[in-house]
Amino acid sequence: MTRWEIKEHIGILTLDNPPGNYILEPEFVPLEQIKEWTTSAEIKGIMITGGGKHFSSGGDLSQLYEKIQKEVDLSDQMDRGKAVLDFLENLNIPVLAAIKGICFGGGLEIALASHIRVCSDSSLFALPESNYNLIPGLGGTVRLPERIGLPESLKLILGGDMISAEEALALKLVDYVVPGTDLLDFAFRFLLKITRERPLKVIQSVMQILKNSRLLPREEAMKEETRLFCELALEEARRKN
Amino acid sequence: MISVQYKTITFDLDEGVGILHLNRPPSNVMTMDFFREFYEVITEIHLSLETKALVISGKGRHYSSGTDLQDLKKEILRQDTTRARYAKTETPEFINLNYQVFNRLEHSPIPVISSITGICLGSAFELALSSHFRFCSPEAVFGLPETTFNLIPGLGGIPKMKALTGMARTIELVLQGKTFSSEEALSYNLADKIIAKKLLLKQSILFARSISSGYRKEKHILYLKTFFKI
Repeated sequence: MTRWEIKEHIGILTLDNPPGNYILEPEFVPLEQIKEWTTSAEIKGIMITGGGKHFSSGGDLSQLYEKIQKEVDLSDQMDRGKAVLDFLENLNIPVLAAIKGICFGGGLEIALASHIRVCSDSSLFALPESNYNLIPGLGGTVRLPERIGLPESLKLILGGDMISAEEALALKLVDYVVPGTDLLDFAFRFLLKITRERPLKVIQSVMQILKNSRLLPREEAMKEETRLFCELALEEARRKN
Repeated sequence: MISVQYKTITFDLDEGVGILHLNRPPSNVMTMDFFREFYEVITEIHLSLETKALVISGKGRHYSSGTDLQDLKKEILRQDTTRARYAKTETPEFINLNYQVFNRLEHSPIPVISSITGICLGSAFELALSSHFRFCSPEAVFGLPETTFNLIPGLGGIPKMKALTGMARTIELVLQGKTFSSEEALSYNLADKIIAKKLLLKQSILFARSISSGYRKEKHILYLKTFFKI
């Protein structure tokens, strides 16, 4: 249900189960597979989008209930799904979600794990799980407050209401809103603009520093920054000499 | 009013408000000498208990164009040879120094206001980001252009920018490395106020004076005990 292609050093991951691009398994792309795709030295940035008109409608409830009836280990499956999102969030190259149409539930959780979110002006966002007496299960309850703060997160998670692209921009849930016809072009060019002229090592260093500021104690993060800077500076200095 | 003149910096103390000028016009480029002197001056400011608020500005038209790359490369190669002889894992002394001075500034017990005219690039912008307030004139130009030289901002600029303007914008501004205007800086939350150039320094000093009334000596002494262990 996912497609991968490479265009000008940008990897494009497409959720491809139209029309709704329902996520049939929490591990919507096998971890090993996404690792293999994204860790090629050729890739400098990743765009995630949906095939057809929508980004993704999220998980499929009937599938979920079926799994439970068949006594599938749900907790294990959710962990695998989360591992894929953690992997994407921790990648040392920029991951951009290009969102159009419906971006609900698990689909929004995939977008939240991305570093940059761009959407079309007609996009709709929601975490509708609570309407079904469930909660977002792929890290959304953790990542959403990190992005938009607790009060607004509670409104989205407990209210279960839908919001527009404009509202999403005001909440800083998305970083850019563009006309629908320009979305993929804008998103792709955005990634090119920030990666094309940069060596992979520079991109990786910047992303690593950003990741460290999220995961490491401050002192350690600062030390790592210095180490990465010196590595690059030394290389440059030697090259120029 | 007390005035002290260093090689790359001037410092004036005017009724409790310190005014530090980067003084290597026209572009006030930051050399190794500058970083050493800056560290010295900041340490003295913190130890003296006389300065209750600090304004940082550049002499002439510009705040600063940032680190002198030639100077930096020379220093890196020199320290690399020294390091090869001693401990390989050790961080070059000058980077540690630069990091410490910006870190100390950020955690300063007195408020620090960067008053920015003209160019404010690279390490200079990182210095401004380590300040608690950024006031700028309308024609000020900002940027972290390091990646365009295959380097990265190494003095806390990336995490500080992320805290102020978020992940997406930080990735964009750092990796693209392009400059941006005062209006953009304001809209990105990277500048706090735009003030006409003629009034900027004066208003920054007035602002510094107005908030210096919140100065508490006991807190400052507590800070000295923590950071300076005295």
